[in-house]
Amino acid sequence: MIAKRIRLVAVLAITLLFLLAWVFPILWSVLNSLKTDSDVLAYPPKLFFSPTLEPYRDVLFGSASILPNLVSSFVISIGTTIITMLMAVPAAYALARLRFRGKKFAGFYVLATQMLPPVGIIIPYFLILRNIGWIDTYQGIILIYLSFSLPFAIWLLVSYFEDIPFEMEEAAYLDGASRMKTLWRIIIPQVRGGIAVTIVFVFLNAWNEFLFAVVLSGNTVRPVTVAMFNFVSVEQTLWAKLAAVSVLAMLPVVILGIVAQKNIVKGLTVGAVKGGGRR
Amino acid sequence: MKPFAPTRRTFLKAGTATAALIGLGPSVLRQAAAQDADLAPYKSAKIDWQQTSGETITVAVIPASYFENLISLAPQFKALTGIDVRFEKIPPAQIRQKSVIDLTSKTGTYATHAADPMYYSLYDANKWVEPLDSYLADKTLTDAGWFKFDDIIPAWRAADSVDGKLYGVPYDGEVTIQVYRKDLFDAKGLKPADDLETFVKNAAALNSPNDRIWGTALRGVAGAGQNMYIYPSIFREFGGEWFKGGKLTVNGPEAEAALAWYVDVMKKYAPTAAANWNWPDIADAFSQGTVASYIDAHSSASVINNPEKSKIIGKVGYARWPKGPTGKRVSSIWNWGFPINAAQSEKKKKATWLFIQWAASAETQARTAHRFAGPTKRSGVNRTSIWKDPDYVKLMNGFGDNFVEATMATLQGDTDVDWRPRVPQWPAIGDTMATAIQSALSGQATIKAALDDAQRRVEPMMRG
Repeated sequence: MIAKRIRLVAVLAITLLFLLAWVFPILWSVLNSLKTDSDVLAYPPKLFFSPTLEPYRDVLFGSASILPNLVSSFVISIGTTIITMLMAVPAAYALARLRFRGKKFAGFYVLATQMLPPVGIIIPYFLILRNIGWIDTYQGIILIYLSFSLPFAIWLLVSYFEDIPFEMEEAAYLDGASRMKTLWRIIIPQVRGGIAVTIVFVFLNAWNEFLFAVVLSGNTVRPVTVAMFNFVSVEQTLWAKLAAVSVLAMLPVVILGIVAQKNIVKGLTVGAVKGGGRR
Repeated sequence: MKPFAPTRRTFLKAGTATAALIGLGPSVLRQAAAQDADLAPYKSAKIDWQQTSGETITVAVIPASYFENLISLAPQFKALTGIDVRFEKIPPAQIRQKSVIDLTSKTGTYATHAADPMYYSLYDANKWVEPLDSYLADKTLTDAGWFKFDDIIPAWRAADSVDGKLYGVPYDGEVTIQVYRKDLFDAKGLKPADDLETFVKNAAALNSPNDRIWGTALRGVAGAGQNMYIYPSIFREFGGEWFKGGKLTVNGPEAEAALAWYVDVMKKYAPTAAANWNWPDIADAFSQGTVASYIDAHSSASVINNPEKSKIIGKVGYARWPKGPTGKRVSSIWNWGFPINAAQSEKKKKATWLFIQWAASAETQARTAHRFAGPTKRSGVNRTSIWKDPDYVKLMNGFGDNFVEATMATLQGDTDVDWRPRVPQWPAIGDTMATAIQSALSGQATIKAALDDAQRRVEPMMRG
């Protein structure tokens, strides 16, 4: 009994420690985003200070407003997520269920595109987009983002599709449902958790992407990850504003995470338990 | 220090609807509009500014107040030349990457960009940018008597040239100087150091971590423009030569002595965190009164004098780089200059040159500096004549004692264009050296081992 309690306390303590380490940078950003520049630099760091919304006002409505960049980020991330999911769900289903020639190769090929280091393909991407006039456009950036979000989404979803007992599908066929109807009515509701997880990760990757964005974007389409760097000027780092932008950039992802949390937890555990599937 | 950056549109409005704005818009807009009309100083140049009218060029710059000032004057350039300039702001770390991608792929995306002077060897080796001497000599493109190229700070011009050929025109620059706290120095009867030995003695005398005052701080974070910005000066002052008998040499007794000096100073008299500091961090710490002296860019003066956060305004003095054991002073120099992208049509190249000439001209330099209507004034103007202009000098001396004198003396006497190895392989060499310096500072490797290892790594780069 006592041993059990000690173990519980130990586990809680360790969890708390990790949680603190994880929460600290976020908390720190939030605090700094509410400070004046002189409070940011104060030593010892001020926990109690008169909070100001000045940094937020500056980054949202000041001369270097990041509102257009937030819009860019939203369009890119939502666009990427929708197109990825529209293509990845059927593709993953096909790879998990159908028998067709070249399936193994197709599966490998999808993954192979992920084996190149991004830095190595950035120049070809730049050249291609440049030649078709898609540099600094939404379609250009979304197209490139699809190149890494699609394989990722397909492979994540395949594992969820494989976990669904084949018998469920069979039952649907026996009742006269077509394959499409079965996919839509029977399979997809079953992998809802997996789809939610995939959506969150695809959105997250697109939202946080920096390397491609910095090279392929310009003045018109510039996501917030790139714009954020403008607060680290060569003259000085504008800490309070940088923190405010970080918090603003974090918000959508945090909200999405909270909304999808129930499904994520379910999705992650379903994905984790393997072997219960077909064959 | 909030950069003043009205959008292009506000300026166009100001130009066409000045009357409507008077009384409504901020006074800076009115002044800018007034400046807008005054193109006479440019028109006195005996060239046809309108010769490429209708062209559009894209210029990549970094986010910095000195470029913001220039961007806000773009409508004046448009009125003068009929050329549309699109500015794209790219963070300093990425502007190199992005411009190199543009140059290698010959896409001509950026007509010109704010270039790292250390990259000109690479640009030249690949013929990515135009040699500019012919543009300077062409009477239809440049009025030599008006442009007065020789008025531009010689050290920066030299840094933007390879083997005597000019590839970039300096727009804004800096030079490293000694910055110190007058009040702390006076209290102990110290003088700013004239040699590195005194510099260490001063740091030791003022180092008092228990009172949260450290003797000094130098750039510690690894990077070609960070620790490899400050170390090369020390290396050269200790008698180091990058090319011994034509071979790139980064180790040896001089290098060891120089690195030992740097590591010793950083470990004994700088805050521990300074090992990860870049220049803005040093300036921030100094502005909070926790660092007694540092050696870094003269342009950091505006940060340590920022009334919004600095606690030491009025207590700052400046001096030249301390001399090394060889008796030499070698300052670290920097400038953002504009080259001409070679992958463009002849007409675009001409338009680009007109832009460069406009930006680097004495008139535009003054309009973006002491005569700028906004709050931020540049401290890196490219012209000797402006550094002698009483209005500018008065403004600059507001940064503290001896600022203009120290900056000018350093720019004229203490620079050495080869303070870092200027070869096409620089980007890789810079990174290798930065890692070596960091591993010595962190104690992962002995000084000798770190330098010998760096030597082993740079040798194949020079062969390839």
